Amino acid sequence: MKYTTFNQVNNNALIEPMFFGNPVNVARYDQQKHQIFEKLIEKQISFFWRPEEVDVSKDRVDFQKLSDSEKHIFISNLKYQTLLDSIQGRSPNIAFLPIISLPELETWVETWSFFETIHSRSYTHILRNLFGDPSSIFNDIVDNQEIKKRASDISQYYDDLIFAVQLWQTLGEGQHTVNGKVHNITMRELKKKLFLCMNSVNALEAIRFYVSFACTFAFAERELMEGNSKIIRLIARDENLHLTSTQHIINLWAKGKDDPEMAEIAEECKEQATEIFLNAVRQEKEWATYLFQQGSMIGLNKEILCQYVEFIANHRMSAIGLGQPFDVKSNPLPWMNNYLNSDNVQVAPQESEISSYLVGQIDSEVNADDFGDFDL
Amino acid sequence: MIHIQQHKTVPHLPQRTLLESIEDQKIVVQFHCREGFCGACRTKLRSGEVEYTSFPLAYIDDDEILPCCCYPLSDIEIELA
Ligand code: FES
Ligand SMILES: [Fe+2]
Ligand SMILES: [Fe+2]
Repeated sequence: MKYTTFNQVNNNALIEPMFFGNPVNVARYDQQKHQIFEKLIEKQISFFWRPEEVDVSKDRVDFQKLSDSEKHIFISNLKYQTLLDSIQGRSPNIAFLPIISLPELETWVETWSFFETIHSRSYTHILRNLFGDPSSIFNDIVDNQEIKKRASDISQYYDDLIFAVQLWQTLGEGQHTVNGKVHNITMRELKKKLFLCMNSVNALEAIRFYVSFACTFAFAERELMEGNSKIIRLIARDENLHLTSTQHIINLWAKGKDDPEMAEIAEECKEQATEIFLNAVRQEKEWATYLFQQGSMIGLNKEILCQYVEFIANHRMSAIGLGQPFDVKSNPLPWMNNYLNSDNVQVAPQESEISSYLVGQIDSEVNADDFGDFDL
Repeated sequence: MIHIQQHKTVPHLPQRTLLESIEDQKIVVQFHCREGFCGACRTKLRSGEVEYTSFPLAYIDDDEILPCCCYPLSDIEIELA
C-alpha cells in the first residue's frame, strides 16, 4: 500500500491496529486506542535534558590517570554506545513510522527517536572534552571489527523490515524480483519481520545497553569519569522508558490486545524471538572478552559482566513471556541499581530554578549507607 | 500486613511505598527507577489489593504489581521474583 502523509479515508483510529492499518491522518490525542503511548510521551518529555548542561571537564584529568587497559575499556564502551544510539536515532523513525496506524504510537516513536539524538549528541560532548579532536574515535566505529560484527546483527532486522516495506509500498503483495533476487512479499511475512525487529530492538535497549551502562558506572563507583557517568545516567533513564515501550508493544500483540494476526505470529515466532535474545547475550559476552582483553578494572571483570548479562536477560525475557533461561538468581552488580534509580537523577523542585542547575546537580556519589544493610 | 511467600510477614509502614516497607525489613527487592516506569520491581500479587501513587507505566501482567509506586489497601500476599 502506497504511503500517504495525510490519509483521506475518514477512518476510526480507535479500531486500527498499531501497525499495518490505515496510515495516520489527524494527529489527535484526545482519544487513544492504547493510552500507554500517550503516557510514555508525557513521561519522556518530562525527562528533557541537554548534554551541554553536564560539566564533563573533570573527566579529562581522570582519563589521563587511567591505565592503558582501563582506557581501552572506557573508549571501547563509548564507541559501542555511540554505535547503538546512531542506530536508534534513525531506525525507529524509518522502520516504524511508515507502517504505524495510531497517532499516539506515531508520536511516541518520534519522541523516542528525538531523545536518541540527544544521546548521540552527548557522546560528541564527552569525546570532544577528552580529545579535542575525536575524529579517530568516531572513524574507528566503522573500522573496528568487533563493533562492526555487532552493528550488522543489530541493523539487520531493521534493514530487512525497511526493505520489505519499501517493496510492499511500491509494488504491493506478490513475488518481486529486484536485481535478480526474488522477494516474496505477503502481509504475513511483513508482520513477521516487524515482530522480529521489535524483539531485536527490545534486546538492544533492554540488554545490550545495560552491559555498556555497567562499564560506565563501574568507573563512577571508583569516583572516576563522573561527568560521563552523569550523562549516562540520564541516558539510562530514557532507555528504561524505551524498553518499557517495546515490552508493551510486544505484549499487546502476544496477549491478543491489538492485531489478532500478531498474536498468532508471536506464538509462531517464539523460538526465533528467543534466539534473538540468546544471540544478543552471546555477543555481549564476546564483547566483554574484547573489553577486558588487556586486563580488568577494579570492580568489574569479564566473569561478573557476563553474569550481569545473564541476570538482566532473565529479567527482560520473562517480561515478554520468553522465560528465564539462565541460572543467576541474584544481581551480581547490586550497585547498578543506585545509578538507575531516578531519585538520584532528579532534584527537589525548589533546587531547580534554572535548568542547568538541575542537570548539574546530579549527584553521582552513591550513598553506601542507604543500601549497605542489604546482604546482596 | 504484607505476606511475602517463602519469606516473612512484614508490616506496611504509613506514608511509604510497598517497596520501602519491604526494604525496611532488609528484604532484597529488585529495583531500578523506583518510579513505576522500568518494570524492575515487578512482583506477583497473590491476594489483596493495592493502590498506585502514580500511573504504573512499566509493563506488568494482570496478576503483577509495581511495589515502587503502590501501597496496600488490604492485607496482601505477594511473591517476589
Ligand atoms: S523500580 Fe522501576 S518500576 Fe518499580
Ligand atoms: Fe539511546
Ligand atoms: Fe533508546
